[in-house]
Amino acid sequence: MKAGPTTSPADLPVTASRRRILARTRLDFWLDALLLVAYTLAYSLGFTGVATHEWLGIGLGVVLLVHLTLHWDWVIRTTGKLLHPGGRERFIWLVNLLLLVSMTLCIASGILISEVALPELGITLTASSFWRQMHDTTATLTLILVPVHAALRWRWIVGVARRFAAWRPGRSR
Amino acid sequence: MKFLRHLTAVVLTVAVIVGLGMLWAHASGGGAGIGSGLRQAPSGKALLRLQQIRAGVIRVQSDNGLNLVDTSDLIRTCEIEAALAAVVITVSAIRRRHRRMRRTATRT
Repeated sequence: MKAGPTTSPADLPVTASRRRILARTRLDFWLDALLLVAYTLAYSLGFTGVATHEWLGIGLGVVLLVHLTLHWDWVIRTTGKLLHPGGRERFIWLVNLLLLVSMTLCIASGILISEVALPELGITLTASSFWRQMHDTTATLTLILVPVHAALRWRWIVGVARRFAAWRPGRSR
Repeated sequence: MKFLRHLTAVVLTVAVIVGLGMLWAHASGGGAGIGSGLRQAPSGKALLRLQQIRAGVIRVQSDNGLNLVDTSDLIRTCEIEAALAAVVITVSAIRRRHRRMRRTATRT
């Protein structure tokens, strides 16, 4: 890659760091978008059918683990600041915690009541009505919490989307 | 390295949540699933259902994927999500405007 005529050696670490931040922002944005689309599809059982619903749910679980891992720093930082005043971050933390519990239980119960994915892997479990009820309840709760979770960061979403829209190949914005 | 450390913490957190769910299921008498399901033989009803799925008696759409004709479910999900997001964004925007107005009033 050719450096521009105005780039001095002192600028290089800054550019590299900016590029790293941009790559991370891009990863966060597309991973979050993927999670949102995947959950929307997975919740629409009539559209996907049982098999796609179940495989999508399992995939969602894996992506959710990556999403959480990428934002674990935020979890630690915000948990540490919970006792300090400042309602907004605390509210977001609470919504995120509820979403984590609800989505985890939704995916876990979905695996336990699986009719296609697990039998295809050679695993058969006896599903109880408890897990079916749990799956229905947590799926509905997750449907409420997912848009709230996304909307609480709408300024970040709009900002990043605008930056991507203005981005041209070869320009490091 | 940092990613692996964080991933371990996340997996542990998720395991705790699932474990608590299992405890809840056990306490409420609905503990079938991993705990008992892997050790006990599946019930006759479950086996029959599985055989019916394999024989194609029960259609579960395991082969052809998306049912593109039935989009009503998908549209309804999108509508619910959009409505909830719109409410949160509106409330958030109103609160932001109020805060800005209060700050301006304090300054003047």
